[in-house]
Amino acid sequence: MVMKLIKKGAEADIYQTKWQNSNAILKIRKVKNYRNPILDLKIRKQRTLKEAQIISQVKSFGIPTPLVYFVDLEKSSILMQEIPGKTVHDLSESKIILLCKKIGKLVGMLHKNGIMHGDLTTSNFIYFKNNIFVIDFGLSQNTMKSEDHAVDLRLIKEILNSAHAKIMLPSWKNFLSGYKSVVGSEKYVKIIKIVSEIESRGRYAQVS
Amino acid sequence: MLGLGIESTAHTFSCAVIEKKGKKGKILSDVRKIYRPDDGEGIHPREASRHHIEHSSSVLSDCLRDAKISIKDLDIISYAAGPGLGPCLRVGAVVARSLASFYKIPIFPVNHAIGHIELGKLLTGASNPLVLLVSGGHTMLLAFLNKQWRVFGETLDITLGQLLDQFGRSIGFASPCGKNIEELASKSSNYVTLPYSVKGNDVSFSGLLSATKSVAKKSKIDACYSLQETAFAMIAESVERALSFTNKKELMIVGGVAANKRLSEMLKDVCKRHGCKFFVVPLQYAGDCGSQICWTGILESKVKEGVLLKNTFVTQSWRLDSVKIDY
Repeated sequence: MVMKLIKKGAEADIYQTKWQNSNAILKIRKVKNYRNPILDLKIRKQRTLKEAQIISQVKSFGIPTPLVYFVDLEKSSILMQEIPGKTVHDLSESKIILLCKKIGKLVGMLHKNGIMHGDLTTSNFIYFKNNIFVIDFGLSQNTMKSEDHAVDLRLIKEILNSAHAKIMLPSWKNFLSGYKSVVGSEKYVKIIKIVSEIESRGRYAQVS
Repeated sequence: MLGLGIESTAHTFSCAVIEKKGKKGKILSDVRKIYRPDDGEGIHPREASRHHIEHSSSVLSDCLRDAKISIKDLDIISYAAGPGLGPCLRVGAVVARSLASFYKIPIFPVNHAIGHIELGKLLTGASNPLVLLVSGGHTMLLAFLNKQWRVFGETLDITLGQLLDQFGRSIGFASPCGKNIEELASKSSNYVTLPYSVKGNDVSFSGLLSATKSVAKKSKIDACYSLQETAFAMIAESVERALSFTNKKELMIVGGVAANKRLSEMLKDVCKRHGCKFFVVPLQYAGDCGSQICWTGILESKVKEGVLLKNTFVTQSWRLDSVKIDY
């Protein structure tokens, strides 16, 4: 099998390869020597399993995700469909602002169906043929708790505020309007309140 | 150009003199006195401020003597204006204000956290790093973008320094406890599973703290070992996430916990994997010190006049990502 390393991600190495006749992505969570082996094994197995389960589960309520072809728990690897688009992180600023509304809707759908993504960054959305695919479910959880959903929102807010600081305000506004349109205003108000609670627990946060 | 820097945000009272020639800074002196609480106790802000008051004049005069200068030679005076403990911050500010007004020297309030970063850059030579700031007051991952340090990840509750100190105190050490915990940890290799909580690029340590306390009832050395392994692995993972997200090719660790060898060892490995240069602030300047404040003040003075005395406040909660940087 021909394998080409395309990205060394935070957790896993990403290879481009083939599955039968289609292009595929092999995601391997390799052993990290700096970690205690017991902890390392636990993290790699747990996340591979969660990712494989949830990436398929969310398709049932209309979230575009790559198809999973094969999971190897021993090697902590997942072989999946390649989505040959660009990550939202790498798009133009005006495009990111625009797509944030759609991203907000996708996140709203996840939450409404009891899924917390756990790693909402602009690198984990792939824009392909006018559609947005969600990837990287390693930190995701089945949870209906509003606190967990608020953690998701806080993270994407932090990313917009740091990596996309120039377009933070319009992007965040669009994200929220998309999110609200899916979860409804009652849940929206509740979540936003928790987001500011989490922020106020941060170090040296301005207490208003 | 000669600057004096005064640090008094928490347990350390320190004065330092730095001489700037061109782009280079040379530390002429850096004198410190550190307040030590009793075993099992943390910093008492009032007691710490009394300690600072008592030692302020001797630290200042030792600092000037070591640098072989007199106050009149100084071009600027900087003090740490926050974040930190109110009573402690006020001591440094009072000393700085008195000198500035009596000798008519321009005065600069400096953000303590920025101080850690700027001195780190001066001493390590890092140019555009992802910064891991780990201390009693901070656990943050930062990158510079558009005139401000932006937060790419941080703790959602207590800091890494607080985690180590609060656990250390519960088994009878005095703050800061990092070194004692590191020593005990090196005697064990028995890993007990503890809560591992990474949320995106952020970490949360409060659950880990409670769980480690209960492990310590059975074995202190296993608890110390497992605590370090778990907490540092969480930090290492957030660093990896931020590195891969920002594509930075340098990592710099600053802050008191940067002195921990196990943490640097893990982060070195992370850097190797990402083809990234690794910088760690020299041990002597990892903890709080006047040099951090002094150098940052000198940099500020390139683009700003000093501040009017009536505006020389201290701010207990002053987030570093709210500071505009024009130099």
